[in-house]
Amino acid sequence: MEAITGWWDDYFFASIVVLKIFMASLLLMVIFGLIGAAAKLSNSIIAKKIANAYTIIFRGTPEILVVLLIYFGSAIALTSLFQLFDPSIKYVDVPPFWAGTFAIALIVGSYATETFRGAFLGVEPGSIEAARALGLSNLQTFVYIRIPEMWRIALPSFGNHMLSLVKDTALISIIGLNELLFVAEQATATTGKPFTMFIVVGLIYLGISTVITLFVMGLEAYGRSHLRAAK
Amino acid sequence: MTQPLIQMQNVDKFFGSFQALKNINLEVHKGERIVVCGPSGSGKSTMIRCINRLEKHNSGKILIGGRELTDSEKDIDAVRREVGMVFQSFNLFPHMTVLRNLMLAPQLVRKNNKSKAKEIAMKYLERVKIPDQANKYPSQLSGGQQQRVAIARALCMSPEILLFDEPTSALDPEMINEVLEVMEDLANEGMTMICVTHEMGFARSVADRVIFMDLGEIVEEASPQEFFENPKNERTKLFLSQILSH
Ligand SMILES: Nc1ncnc2c1ncn2[C@@H]1O[C@H](COP(=O)(O)OP(=O)(O)O)[C@@H](O)[C@H]1O
Ligand SMILES: [Mg+2]
Repeated sequence: MEAITGWWDDYFFASIVVLKIFMASLLLMVIFGLIGAAAKLSNSIIAKKIANAYTIIFRGTPEILVVLLIYFGSAIALTSLFQLFDPSIKYVDVPPFWAGTFAIALIVGSYATETFRGAFLGVEPGSIEAARALGLSNLQTFVYIRIPEMWRIALPSFGNHMLSLVKDTALISIIGLNELLFVAEQATATTGKPFTMFIVVGLIYLGISTVITLFVMGLEAYGRSHLRAAK
Repeated sequence: MTQPLIQMQNVDKFFGSFQALKNINLEVHKGERIVVCGPSGSGKSTMIRCINRLEKHNSGKILIGGRELTDSEKDIDAVRREVGMVFQSFNLFPHMTVLRNLMLAPQLVRKNNKSKAKEIAMKYLERVKIPDQANKYPSQLSGGQQQRVAIARALCMSPEILLFDEPTSALDPEMINEVLEVMEDLANEGMTMICVTHEMGFARSVADRVIFMDLGEIVEEASPQEFFENPKNERTKLFLSQILSH
């Protein structure tokens, strides 16, 4: 294990990068998921078709390929965009952090689209009717009845989506982001101890996942308090 | 002659090409207690759901307290504030305690502050005789208790009119009476109510009028005595012979 001394700080900063990607992609994932679900539930045929294409494409292609395509694709797109204004620009570099974050948020967002859609449809229609019959407005019904019932339905799948995001951060090493796998590879090259270097990565990921799992379990227990067995 | 609280004039309702209500005409005055019965699928629920616009009628007029139900959200909200509804399947909010179920609309719709809303809620929980269940969740209560909570929830809005859609049909037999008792109390206090129910004992003891529906139409409308002793229509007679035989 002494091979690892000297690498702790690299692992530490790489962990921070992973957490940052997780936070940013979580936010984006929720946004993509909500937009996707809203589109699928809308009356607009075009919106539905776009949302269907989105979920089919992103659930049906290897995740690592999506990361690569978004990274190189956005570089090409941005380069041609910038060249419109300044033809002397040869190449625009897209930050791997943002390309990667965007890519994994899009991937997991396509799963979240189905989760949010299912949760919306899973709310008891009777609750919604009762709220309307009491004179609550559409917005009040949404905020006080639909959302609280929806998140309870969505939570178990949503917990899985969070874990997917954490694990998918590892994919971003392929586009050169200085995250945990990247550090482990460098450390391996220097020390010749791949197993040690990668097991550390494994333990760090496991630690992050465990915290998320416990958090979701806590939320589930809270959300289920209204289902306590009768008397 | 005072204006009726509820007026339905030549109301038709379609689901796609299927006509669920055919030329419904109904007037209900303040303090009247109406029982609606009829075979399953005859349009009873649809009719009372048009009164608070949970269903939208296709033609004819519905006026509640003189206010016509149109697409105007303002009018619909105004009507819903005055018309309470009790559903067959209770429809309590599962994620809220009994107390919160009762306080929600008084706070959000009537703009009462929290302590006032709580006071109102407790008053009506006592009225339906379950103040001790205030902090439980609906899933922890029996069906009869849940339905009494649902009635209390409607009462917290001090509605002019209460609509009941088969309030005892989903209950185990031993729980039916506790709900009917609450409904009878309300009737005796002068609440204007329309009850879709097949509880004929209830109809006999509290109804001012019984309405019989079949195939989307009001087939017969009579006092309970007239309705049970001397039904005019063949379909009414058939229906009564079926439900009174068991
Ligand atoms: N949302 C709906 N969509 C299509 N048909 C409906 C809908 N609601 C009710 N119906 C139909 O309208 C008829 C009357 O229904 P309903 O008013 O529920 O009858 P009842 O309450 O007397 O049993 C039934 O044939 C039913 O199938
Ligand atoms: Mg019905």
